[in-house]
Amino acid sequence: MDEKPSVLVIGGGVAGIQVSTDLANRGLQVYLVEKLTSIGGRMAQFDKTYPTLDCSICILAPKMIDCFRHPNIKVLSYSEVKKVSGKAGDFTVEVLRKPRYVDEARCTGCGQCAEKCPKKIPNEWEFSMADRKAIYMPFPQAVPRLMTIDPQNCLYLTKGICRVCEKFCQAKAIDFSQKPETVKIRVASIVLATGFDMLNPSKITEYGYGKYKNVITSLEFERLICASGPTGGHLVRPSDHAKPKRVAFILCVGSRDVKEGMMYCSNVCCLYSAKDAILVKEHEPDVDVVIFYTDLRAYSKGSREFIDRAISDYGIKYVRGRPGEVREDPDIKSLTIWYEDTLSRKVEKLQADLVVLSTACVPSSDAQELAKTLGLELDEYGFFRVADPLYAPLDTTVPGVYACGFCTGPKDISDSVAQASGVAAKAAEVVVAASKGSKTAGMKGG
Amino acid sequence: METRMEDAMEKTNVRYCLKCGKCTGSCPLARVNPEYSPRQMVERATLGFKDRVLRSKGVWWCLTCRLCSERCPQDVRYPDFIRACRAEAASLGVEHRCAHGDMLAELQRAMTVPRLKQNRLGWIPKKASVSTKGDLLYFVGCLPYFDAIMEKVKPDSIAIGQSVIQVLNSSGITPAVMPNERCCGHDLLWTGDTESFEKLARLNMEEIRKTGAKTVVFSCPEGYRTFKLDYADILGELPFEVLHTSELFSKLIDEGKLKFSQKINRKVVYHDPCRLGRHMRVFDSPRKVLSSIPGIQLVEMGRSRAEAMCCGVDAWMCNSNSKQMQVERLQEAKMSGADMLVTTCPKCQIHFRCVMNEKLPKAVFPVPDEAKIEVADLSELVAKALGS
Repeated sequence: MDEKPSVLVIGGGVAGIQVSTDLANRGLQVYLVEKLTSIGGRMAQFDKTYPTLDCSICILAPKMIDCFRHPNIKVLSYSEVKKVSGKAGDFTVEVLRKPRYVDEARCTGCGQCAEKCPKKIPNEWEFSMADRKAIYMPFPQAVPRLMTIDPQNCLYLTKGICRVCEKFCQAKAIDFSQKPETVKIRVASIVLATGFDMLNPSKITEYGYGKYKNVITSLEFERLICASGPTGGHLVRPSDHAKPKRVAFILCVGSRDVKEGMMYCSNVCCLYSAKDAILVKEHEPDVDVVIFYTDLRAYSKGSREFIDRAISDYGIKYVRGRPGEVREDPDIKSLTIWYEDTLSRKVEKLQADLVVLSTACVPSSDAQELAKTLGLELDEYGFFRVADPLYAPLDTTVPGVYACGFCTGPKDISDSVAQASGVAAKAAEVVVAASKGSKTAGMKGG
Repeated sequence: METRMEDAMEKTNVRYCLKCGKCTGSCPLARVNPEYSPRQMVERATLGFKDRVLRSKGVWWCLTCRLCSERCPQDVRYPDFIRACRAEAASLGVEHRCAHGDMLAELQRAMTVPRLKQNRLGWIPKKASVSTKGDLLYFVGCLPYFDAIMEKVKPDSIAIGQSVIQVLNSSGITPAVMPNERCCGHDLLWTGDTESFEKLARLNMEEIRKTGAKTVVFSCPEGYRTFKLDYADILGELPFEVLHTSELFSKLIDEGKLKFSQKINRKVVYHDPCRLGRHMRVFDSPRKVLSSIPGIQLVEMGRSRAEAMCCGVDAWMCNSNSKQMQVERLQEAKMSGADMLVTTCPKCQIHFRCVMNEKLPKAVFPVPDEAKIEVADLSELVAKALGS
């Protein structure tokens, strides 16, 4: 690849897209590595954003496209960073490009192949609430707009039969001969924007996630209420696809919890659950919505107002108390929530048809491996450790490697985007210094 | 060794309480007793209303079942805090009420007298093989006293002890037993009499030393917990291994030393005693033993293992709330489709039997038919399946 002063950005979510675009607009070359088949990250999975109630993908998709089409950005999707050597100003990075078994130059993303593909499997993008085929595009707005064959499930790649996709692809894009490929790139600096995962709450057994069908996570709720989601945006409970009469949200599931290891506040749940509750009301005004909270942490401008609006304009009921347990009535699959209303000081039970758990946001599952590859330190929770939380919140413990967004700790979209622009400036400093030949300037504290 | 209230507030994480109420939302007692809330107890303590806590009924109401701390996000060890409060309250002369006119507690205290000579072993069948010395000691606990004191309930606790000895004998073990065994002190410890508890602990340890036991086995989860945690706490590491019968049986099955010859065609449901389950994390052994008995079909209640509901009584402090909880638990057992409730705690068994015998007027407290189920101890089933 070319030797133009470059930056590697790892993670193609909203933060990674912002960093890449900012750097590219300055005329720098950016390699954006994304492990999934499309960029977009978590934000592409959300239905709406708070506090503006914008359609999440509607505001993100143009950014995804701008990023992908930018002449200075090379998006390496479905790829993973495997090896990093060198130092600030001159890193050599090996990136594994996984085979899509689809020719990127030919595929138009028409989806004919997926229509004909006989192999159905649960769609991970929809948390198994819908199916996808072995050749698939994760969501309709995916960027790059390319089909990918999942080698674990493709009948040809597993059993040597089928090849139906090949027969129906008018663009002749199917290419079963593709092999994993390692590409080497040289960059002056590296930016991490690898985001977060959400805690699987099934080990918090008292809430019955995984045991009771109508107990779901907030991320599953995002898909459930989304117009492009598994139900086309119809609010139904998973057990029987009936419209719920009451939906309850339980906050701090695993967050602020020493036992689950997340002593920290996940930062976004108080606000997004108010948003989720409003979405329920906008879809089905006659559905009762109750939010169980521990402490309302709505601290930035407009946040408290947002929650007040949820209460006064939408009639959403807030109860202070972390419920003790959720029990299912095995016959009707409705749920009983036992709780102490800590303001009225009464123990009560509440019947609900759907319970949504706002689970803790946790470090991305591959943060650990990436830390090893790059020689980075992690903090006690597994987020990337920053050089100094006050003075160098965007610097990691390795000079020339920066981080932004959720991968260093809980942050909402606007904070992540702000950090992304900040980190772009930091990463550019190294590039400029390197290209001037003064390999040490601009790297202090970095 | 016993920490007092303020000390306990540090040691049991009470100071870290978020006041989120997850404890009270979990507490089985708070559901039937609107005056009781673990969160509010902790809140009062942290706000400095020490006297109000120490003189509250709530201190004595707590079942110490540990369901609240199982779920507490801040790891507040509420039962331990309550135990410390009880010790301090008792030293202030606060009285607590106990069923059976405090007879059991007085009997336990009587056993602290060093020169006391008991003969506790009259119930052991002549043909059984027991000794006063040996590698394995069976610590019988209160069983023989229960049958005498709670005659009306017909606890048949002796049957548990006899079964244990039968099982040990048929796997080739001659257990040591102690004619002058003392109460383990569990109830005194949990009702604030730490002084008597310590005396009992030392007397028992001396008595066990004489047997030369390398392993001490308990059919009672309270004795098991008390030795393994509370004796070790005041006396340091114990010079012997502590096992519950369910753990020993499970081991004997693994070693091929228990050969079941009788089929027991019953659908059974297992009730986790708080002390064995949540306190000591023994969930699998009893289930494994039950599942290896031929003919037995093991089913589960909605609330089992770490989620299990308490039998409703702690240290014999029983009241109408206890009865309500017991009926609820028995109904849950019945709803599982089982025709027999198996437990590993003699006290749980007594409490369940007691409520089923309850002759209170229907209007006051009816015990419905759907709360009536046969109750047995694991040891009895194991003995039965061995035939002999």
